Amino acid sequence: PSPQPPSAEGDSIKVYVRVRPPVKGTALFNDGDQGQCLSVISSNAVRLNSKPEPKIFTYDHVADIHTTQESVFSVVAKGIIESCMNGYNGTIFAYGQTGSGKTFTMLGPSDDSDNFTHNLRGVIPRSFEYLFYLISREKEKAGDGKDFLCKCSFIEIYNEQIYDLLDPASSGLFLRENIKTGVFVEGVIERVVTSAAEAYQVLSMGWRNRSVASTSMNRESSRSHAVFTVTIESKEKISNLFNIRTSQLNLVDLAGSERQRDTRAEGVRLKEASSINRSLSCLGNVIMGLIDVASGKNRHICYRDSKLTFLLRDSLGGNAKTYIIANVHPGSRCFGETLSTLQFARRAKLIKNKATVNEATQGSLG
Amino acid sequence: AELSDHGGLDLLFCHPLPVVVPTATQAEQPHPHAGGGAGGPGGGPGGQGQQLAVLEYLLGLNHVETEELSAGEEHLSQCVSLLQEHRLSRQTVSVYTEAENQLGILWAGLGEIEKAQKYLEDAEALYNQYMREIGTAPYDPQEHFMAEEEMLSEQERHKRFEKVATQTLYYLAQVYKHLDMDEKAARYCHTTLQRQLETRDYNPVEWTINAATLSQYYISKELYMEARLCLAGATVIFEELGDVSLESAAEELAGEDAVHLHEQNLHDWLGQKKSDISRCWIKYCLFLLQDSRKLLEDDIAELDPERQDELRAQQAREEEEKERGRKKAVQFGSSETFDSILSAEEKVTCLYPVDFQSARQVFLFGQSHVLESKKFFQLDGHTRDHVEVVQDHSALFKALAFFEEDHERRCKMHKRRVDMLEAVHKELNPQYYLLVCRQLQFEIADAYYQMMMLKVTIANGLEDLDQRNIKKINHLAHAAISSYQLFLDSLRDADKQFPSELESDVLRPALFAKFRMGYLHNKIITAEPRGQLENTQNSLDCYSFVVDYCQSHEEAIAAVEMELELCTEMTGLLAARVKQLRAKLLAEP
Repeated sequence: PSPQPPSAEGDSIKVYVRVRPPVKGTALFNDGDQGQCLSVISSNAVRLNSKPEPKIFTYDHVADIHTTQESVFSVVAKGIIESCMNGYNGTIFAYGQTGSGKTFTMLGPSDDSDNFTHNLRGVIPRSFEYLFYLISREKEKAGDGKDFLCKCSFIEIYNEQIYDLLDPASSGLFLRENIKTGVFVEGVIERVVTSAAEAYQVLSMGWRNRSVASTSMNRESSRSHAVFTVTIESKEKISNLFNIRTSQLNLVDLAGSERQRDTRAEGVRLKEASSINRSLSCLGNVIMGLIDVASGKNRHICYRDSKLTFLLRDSLGGNAKTYIIANVHPGSRCFGETLSTLQFARRAKLIKNKATVNEATQGSLG
Repeated sequence: AELSDHGGLDLLFCHPLPVVVPTATQAEQPHPHAGGGAGGPGGGPGGQGQQLAVLEYLLGLNHVETEELSAGEEHLSQCVSLLQEHRLSRQTVSVYTEAENQLGILWAGLGEIEKAQKYLEDAEALYNQYMREIGTAPYDPQEHFMAEEEMLSEQERHKRFEKVATQTLYYLAQVYKHLDMDEKAARYCHTTLQRQLETRDYNPVEWTINAATLSQYYISKELYMEARLCLAGATVIFEELGDVSLESAAEELAGEDAVHLHEQNLHDWLGQKKSDISRCWIKYCLFLLQDSRKLLEDDIAELDPERQDELRAQQAREEEEKERGRKKAVQFGSSETFDSILSAEEKVTCLYPVDFQSARQVFLFGQSHVLESKKFFQLDGHTRDHVEVVQDHSALFKALAFFEEDHERRCKMHKRRVDMLEAVHKELNPQYYLLVCRQLQFEIADAYYQMMMLKVTIANGLEDLDQRNIKKINHLAHAAISSYQLFLDSLRDADKQFPSELESDVLRPALFAKFRMGYLHNKIITAEPRGQLENTQNSLDCYSFVVDYCQSHEEAIAAVEMELELCTEMTGLLAARVKQLRAKLLAEP
């Protein structure tokens, strides 16, 4: 049904772990004599100095504190942007606790976040540059035969609500699925951009709105996910037919991992009844847990995906290339969070879409 | 109390005080405020000792909320031990229960789940004992510090006490889940829902969704009577919601995923919930039919008349015990809603259908919910949900077909499946819906395969095979083959290469597709020798693929054990036949 053949190759999620340098003089991360809780032992392994035995974690790539922004970009983003140019979807996540370097990795130094010519600029501005470099190269090659249209949108997910960062007045947008173009945010503003500079403008406008919202609306940016999406549409004229391809590049700054505690991560802690709203809201989770362990029947679960996982369905085990950058802080005070980030990153490698062909598992021999 | 009022502060800080615990007679005083100054020392129900215990409880709560767990534990335990002897007193039973609830939460948080269990089970037992032996509405903890004119009504006291007890069950449901006592956890979830309904103390949409979700647990345990009860309850409570105005509904709905809903969003949100309940009903019908099939089918997956008679007889026996059975079932009691729930239940059976007539009733009920849920889950906008509903609809037809004795009519049911599945498949963009497309391709292939098998059976009963039948069978075989091929092609990489190593999630489907294709190629009927050779060769290739793959990837054997055995056998046979056909072709002029 579509001009773009699907691909099974490269679907699995790749994980890049980046260790930030310790910050001297800050209360939270200054460990004095206690030193560091982890060390990079090779380009794809870290050792966590847990007791009694140290633990080794391996990933697709591990970057130590001396890694440059350029090198993060070329390992993580280059390949993804190239495949976006070929009509595949791509997603880059940054994950980790607050202060572990997510924003630095994605955008660049935070006090300098409007300045995208900076040598320390992050993955997002570099991705823009590379994307438009590839587009102009393609256009040169194909002459008038090929056209590109790039559109950007920028949303924030806070408290399971979707806000359009390009429209400060918006609230409560809905996620929908289009039969041809997958998941989209209904009514989101899309800005057409023709150069990296224009894309920066959209980005920094949204970024400013995000911090305004965090002060005026009491939204905490460390508790919200920000998703910047570039839709790339290419139109190629072959004889009298137009071959149209679209793809999406999602750049995601996740909420601080320390805020992500769900009931599972909290161990056995019981969820309390909330006195307002007459809500025993955890009951559903308990029941869902019961269904999970029951037989292999394919039941209907009324509880919807979280907005973030719904939006990124295609990125998590779907037909897309996805990289997760797990940012960790090496200080031993952060041991707990670092361990949970490393564990998350390892679990992420195992993410596969559960929806496989059902029938075959019970197919009779006829 | 003023800050300078040292009397009050002393009470707070001098802890633990050598308190003289009030005697039972004091505690059971019928009216708390007889003469005493309201709220002042000694004025609350049961006097100073009880006030102190309540303060211990409140202090404990405060500490817990500020993460000072050990201090919190100390105060809460102090409250419990102060009131130990008066746990059945009307004045203090409520605060005692609440303190135990809090201790349960606290210990669970510290990973001591058995300790939590002990406190909560104790609280549950206390509630039961109190209701059995005393039963009058007890005082709320807050009342110990209220002026007389503020004291609560009996009704309000009753309501609050029931709520505390409901919370105990709610926490116990979680505790049992954590202890992997699933059956017990489910029962406590059920009881919690039931109590919420009886006391009319619930968020209607949340309740509805919880009940519908619980039905899915019961379905997986093949407890259809309980599943139906939950779904009927969900339907009724949801319909009651339709009677209230939207604004007041919006206030009711401030559950986890409904904050600041605008009116239009609210409509949308409610529409989705309604469709969700319908989808739970669909699953109910589907699994009821499928589980019945499992009971009734023989070795070759056909309806076994002997088993049919057995099931009929068994159901007749159970019919006699129906009254008893109904009373045994856990029911949602509240008298106003009970009748509506009962009549919602009566719309569909919870017994395994034994024949086509009864199966058809279940099918039709399921189909009505297919139509209902499609109203919200439209193809464009809610693509994946829509496709899942269509797949369930197809599965309903497949399940019903088992009960149909007429092969032609059965074949038409599978044709309906093909039509509805192909209609959505052709609309989808596999770039975004790759996995969905794969499932559809596989199911379409299966439906064609079933049709072909039926046509073969019909043809076998005929005197001679006419051209029309041959054409039909070949057409269906080709259609099934090309749908399986579409599925296999979707596994190819960017360079159009078939992967040398199959990912674990597609391993069985891919090998199974090859196995079916091997069978289908071999079923194609042709009198022409060149065609025969070609078909046999294709069939051999498919079977060999499975055999070769399993030889080089031993981990695959477990996934297709039965099929592999047949494939190995067939490769031997077909290789010989290919040889034979080749020789025959060469020998011909």
